[in-house]
Amino acid sequence: MKPTDSRNPVISLKNVSKTFQNKKVIDNVSLDIYAGETFIIMGCSGSGKSTLLRVMNGTIRPDEGHVFIKDKDIYHISDEALANIKKNFGMLFQYSALLDSMTVEENVALPLDEHTKLADEIIKIIIKMKLSLVGLRGYEKYYPSQISGGMRKRVGLARAIALDPDIVFYDEPTSGLDPVVGGVIDKLIKDLSAKLLMTSVVVTHDMQSVFGIADRIAMVHKGAIVAVGTPDEIRRSDNPYIQQFINGKPEGPIDFFKEDIGIIQDF
Amino acid sequence: MVSRIGKAVIEYLEWGKGVGALLSGIVYWIVFGPFKGKFPRRRYIFQQMVFAGLRSVLLVFFVDFFTGIVLAMQTAYQLEKMGAVIYVASLVAVSMCRELSPVLTGLVVAGRAGSAIAAELGTMKVTEQVEALDTMSINPVRFLCVSRFLALLLMVPCLVILGNLSGILGGFIVGTGSLHINPDLYMQTTFKHLEIKDVYTGLIKAVVFGMIIALIACFEGLNTKGGAEGVGRATTRSVVISFILIILADCVITAFFYFSKI
Repeated sequence: MKPTDSRNPVISLKNVSKTFQNKKVIDNVSLDIYAGETFIIMGCSGSGKSTLLRVMNGTIRPDEGHVFIKDKDIYHISDEALANIKKNFGMLFQYSALLDSMTVEENVALPLDEHTKLADEIIKIIIKMKLSLVGLRGYEKYYPSQISGGMRKRVGLARAIALDPDIVFYDEPTSGLDPVVGGVIDKLIKDLSAKLLMTSVVVTHDMQSVFGIADRIAMVHKGAIVAVGTPDEIRRSDNPYIQQFINGKPEGPIDFFKEDIGIIQDF
Repeated sequence: MVSRIGKAVIEYLEWGKGVGALLSGIVYWIVFGPFKGKFPRRRYIFQQMVFAGLRSVLLVFFVDFFTGIVLAMQTAYQLEKMGAVIYVASLVAVSMCRELSPVLTGLVVAGRAGSAIAAELGTMKVTEQVEALDTMSINPVRFLCVSRFLALLLMVPCLVILGNLSGILGGFIVGTGSLHINPDLYMQTTFKHLEIKDVYTGLIKAVVFGMIIALIACFEGLNTKGGAEGVGRATTRSVVISFILIILADCVITAFFYFSKI
């Protein structure tokens, strides 16, 4: 799906900033994400991309600026209205964040149980459908501690899409997984966007998935957006930050050593 | 020095504010939850009651049983001098019901269930599970704290009743076995001096202690910071703070009952 600027954005950030303990984590970010696209936010560890995701999904309130979800300013409405908007979100966490005390089945059922009045039999059917979508039929009665990390991620994904959300947020969906399972997760993300017309916002620094699934990419460095563009534009970009990042070079403008206090001063 | 004291005072006030906010949140969901269809499932409350209550039965029994034995022997040592050994029976019963059983049970439950709640919620917090609930727009206080709070509120008084009985049993064994008091006489003396108000003042304490344990454990658990070390710290803090608050509350409630002649 090719996004065009004439459409209304689903998520819109206007001059958003956030400071944690005197450190500016998000620096005046403005961004539009359109319906049905897979939008990737990439950047180094600690660049503020996860915080940016949490600002979009209503978890972290920004110090300045506005976040619009379908034209609603989510940080300037009542908590109850925000909770209602959040029901249209799904989120896949970096470490899956399944509830340890519940089985796979109960985990996926949780949002349905809490937010719908569906009968238990119907919820059971929905769970089976969602689990077969992520290829985990037959694991209903297992506890999260009894299955592998990749399977936990897939259960997390099933839970994220249990309520058929409009927007799904992914926080490092492939980190810590082997390349094959990572590829499976990437394919699932791609399929879900195509089949269920969900808007996907993915935070990652896994280059394979970045160029595999993205419709558009934003590069974040030190809390600010360096560039936004399609995968081809990003690949061909002559921005030194982007070139260093996608090629994984130790030398370049992204410098981990510059900010260190000199060793001599330490003594 | 002054600034350090000021900082500590501010920290305590912040802590108190946080606990107060959690308490009002829990009470809000208990009172208004049923009308919104958002009351915790009976299954969850039942699970917590089994965990906090049923699994503590043996521990509470032994702690109060042995305390009853010790209490009987200690008082007999004093009363023998006055030839009033028979009053061991009523002394054990009244002091178990009014004071020792509620406090000891409270401490046992704080050490066992309170620490487990703090550790569980703390782990959920540091592994993003609490955040996940929030993202699914499931209020963590409603989903995690209300069932635990209600479970402890109901189970601590039950355990105290069990503790009362096991303490009296301990005293009975010493009284009839080693002090050679007639068993019938022992039981008669016990119930002659034990009044109903002795039992219910103990139960009022139990309810308050149950609330303290659940509240502190939930608060420390949900405010865990850092990884495994943070969970350990939250667990320790929850036990230590519960202990202090239980003793403090016991002192206040006892003073209240004593001076108001209840």
